[in-house]
Amino acid sequence: MTHTMTATTLEKAVSEQAATVEFRSLRREFGSTVALDGLDLTVRPGEFLALLGPSGCGKTTALRMLAGFEHPDSGAVLVDGEDVTHVPAHRRDAGMVFQSYSLFPHLNAVDNVAFGLRMRKVRTAERRSRAAELLELVGLGDKAERYPHQLSGGQQQRIALARALALRPRVLLLDEPLSALDAKVRLSLREEIRRLQQELGITTLFVTHDQEEALSVADRVAVMRAGRLEQCAGPAELYGRPATAFVAEFVGTMSRIPGELEDGTVQVLGQRLPADGEVPDGAVDVLVRPEAVRVHADEQGSARVVATAFLGAVVRVTVRLADGTEAKADLPAHEAAGLGAGSPVGVSLPERAVLVAERIQK
Amino acid sequence: MTAALPRADVAPVASAKRRRRAPGWLAVVPLLVFTAIAFGLPAVAIVDGAFTVKDATTGAASYTGANLTASLQGPYLTALLGSVKLSAISAALGVLLGLPLAQAVVSSRSRALREAVLTASGVLANFGGVPLAFAFVATLGNAGVLTVHLGLKDSGWDLYSFWGLVLVYLYFLVPLMVLTITPALDGLRTQWREAALNNGATGVQYWRHVALPVLAPSLLGGLVLLFGSAFAAYATAAAMVGSAVPLVTLQIADALSGNVLVGQENVALALSLDMVLVAGLVMAVYLPLQRRSARWLDA
Amino acid sequence: MARRLTLWRWVVLGLAALYFLVPLGASVVFTVDVPGHGITFDAYSKILSTEGFVSSLLLSLELAVTTIAVVLLLMVPAAVALRLGAPRLRPVVEVVCSLPLVVPPIAFVAGIVSVLKWGPEHLSRTPLFQTFVAIQDPDFPVVLVLAYVVMALPFVYRALDAGLRAIDVRTLVEAARSCGASLPQALVRAVLPNLRGALLNAAFLTLALVLGEFTVAQLLGFCPFAVWIYNIGGSQAQMSVAVSVLSLLVTWALLLALAGAGGGRSRTAPPRG
Repeated sequence: MTHTMTATTLEKAVSEQAATVEFRSLRREFGSTVALDGLDLTVRPGEFLALLGPSGCGKTTALRMLAGFEHPDSGAVLVDGEDVTHVPAHRRDAGMVFQSYSLFPHLNAVDNVAFGLRMRKVRTAERRSRAAELLELVGLGDKAERYPHQLSGGQQQRIALARALALRPRVLLLDEPLSALDAKVRLSLREEIRRLQQELGITTLFVTHDQEEALSVADRVAVMRAGRLEQCAGPAELYGRPATAFVAEFVGTMSRIPGELEDGTVQVLGQRLPADGEVPDGAVDVLVRPEAVRVHADEQGSARVVATAFLGAVVRVTVRLADGTEAKADLPAHEAAGLGAGSPVGVSLPERAVLVAERIQK
Repeated sequence: MTAALPRADVAPVASAKRRRRAPGWLAVVPLLVFTAIAFGLPAVAIVDGAFTVKDATTGAASYTGANLTASLQGPYLTALLGSVKLSAISAALGVLLGLPLAQAVVSSRSRALREAVLTASGVLANFGGVPLAFAFVATLGNAGVLTVHLGLKDSGWDLYSFWGLVLVYLYFLVPLMVLTITPALDGLRTQWREAALNNGATGVQYWRHVALPVLAPSLLGGLVLLFGSAFAAYATAAAMVGSAVPLVTLQIADALSGNVLVGQENVALALSLDMVLVAGLVMAVYLPLQRRSARWLDA
Repeated sequence: MARRLTLWRWVVLGLAALYFLVPLGASVVFTVDVPGHGITFDAYSKILSTEGFVSSLLLSLELAVTTIAVVLLLMVPAAVALRLGAPRLRPVVEVVCSLPLVVPPIAFVAGIVSVLKWGPEHLSRTPLFQTFVAIQDPDFPVVLVLAYVVMALPFVYRALDAGLRAIDVRTLVEAARSCGASLPQALVRAVLPNLRGALLNAAFLTLALVLGEFTVAQLLGFCPFAVWIYNIGGSQAQMSVAVSVLSLLVTWALLLALAGAGGGRSRTAPPRG
């Protein structure tokens, strides 16, 4: 099994030239469950791409296929146009950071980072200096002699990151590396990962189920569902113009308000608005973000406030419409002041195109 | 203590607390008294007897180290060393054979196989003693089924020998090893294997540089545990070899039942003390290893 | 590569099965295929009528039940108390319950033998002497119970400790008391039912220990089940092997019952050999 890709050694300045990654109609079944159902996705050189989706959507399986831990039933994985589907895991050029507890417990930080160099028979002095360099890079130069059990979860993940970079991989794989950390550490570490990635310019795949995390760090976000790609776009586009109802509801908060679709416009809340979305005419749901919903006190209003939640700059108001559906609206704190539970209110939408989806009977 | 609801009067709370703490201490007292008598007395008797020599004519007892010296000489020393050798070799083989067996079970995805092997190990690890000896006598003894049918006698096979005992001891030591090492193998995280592969290690390199070093404390702990178990074993050896193989447990039993010279009981006690010291050493090695492995594998 | 791994696994499992099953199979063959008699099941059919079988088995069972009762009565209150009221005694109890592991049974019985000699030697004129005689009654040797309780302590302690760790005793008691239960009620109604698995576990481990125990009983000159098997080994080889096989099956059944009833994970019963 001689693959030219595996001939790359440490000394080759690989990371200077970022790699393209392609998934081509990947399919994988585990027993009766379909983990990947024909996944097609291309990651551009130097790009930070987040794979986002609910658990079981196949995002981790896709990542592990790139690392060589899983093998597709059909389809191919390409790095820089080269088929690596059958290259064994230990000869792939992809550094991986795992969810948690992946550091070798019997090695200290510097030996963990230098592990891959040791496997490649790099001389002791050289690998120690390279490992020390990487520890500096992740801000833990002073913790070189610590063992994993002496380090916090966040520090462990930084060292795992340094270890993943030690062999100068062409692709960096992050498998929910932040999910086991507490909120504050998670925030600072994800910023650091982003900074490092930009500094190194390395093609990066980041698996997460946390949409906020994905939107805040990635260049592009690929939303997956049931083993297929739903949409792959930049964060702003994904949020503002979701391609499908699933994406719309998975990314950010969405309320469904019943409407009537006719000739490309929709009748909703007493307004007629242009509609986006491939849905046949008739009864539809209009999908709206809370910041797009307007709520004002109105003695004659047919809607009622159900609950309010103070979120800092805004207050999230949940209202029940005349037909019983609930919608969420974000109001500036001063506007929401008079709206207690039970207050009668009027609800309206801004005059612009709205996303419609097939009606879901509740 | 129980949830202390806020109360105005403090005194009753305090007295109630005192009343409740008393049973806490009292509940432990019977256990301590019992062990002081049932375990403490024999323990004292071992130490006392090991250092006492009784003059056969006058009956006067005097304290001396002579018994211990005697217990480390001649046939007693041979027996002690024989026990150590037998235990060390069968423990080492038990570890070497138990590890792949446990790994084969752990790495298999079949739950049924796993449960079957672990339950069977539980039975076999406890299947020491007389029944085990007799099962092997029936199989490989002089009139044993295999001995007769395969004509092993002519090829020089003898169950009642050192290696015969090793073969029998492995019957409960290997399952004991499987039971001991399985939790440690379960504790090896798949992330470690994958991280090693991801860092360019081959399967063999993973075992050499990650799995075995991480398992080392558990393996050593298992070795020590097996050694202790083999060292203390008496029933199997007694039912099988009589005194064909010199073992310290057999020597103690002989001395106790007066099969040898009368008045050797105190040497038996000295030998017992030797055994306790070896077993104590075993525990002293085992416990720290256990703790370290727990720290690595349960983190 | 995956296939090679599977092959390797089956080779290992096959060799293990061979080593562990052959002696059992051969033992069965040995008991039914008697040289000169052909196939016969005498070894099994005559067990019940053989002298000493019933009495020794009964003695072992009585000893087992008594030992279980005593060890649980001693250990359960102590273990619960350590969690509730006297945590500072914990290291003491832990050490006390580990000490028997350091003293091999043969050394332990050597100590017991010399303690029992103190009776005739020093105490023959005191009432204590009667006690010494009483505990060595061959019909029901209390001294064996004492020894077995000591030998069972480490395993029972471990089983109970594991059970207690899994439930938060303090919170359970506090919850029960806040519902109006008295302390004894809280212990009996809230704590003990949650300990059932651990208690069963401890009881079965002790049962296995007592049924198979040979060293102490033989050297003190009593004749429970294991000693009886040993004694008939000389004269009736077939039957001794038959009983050995049966006792293995009984142990097996007991442990399976344990796994089923308690769902317990601690399979390491006391090693003996």
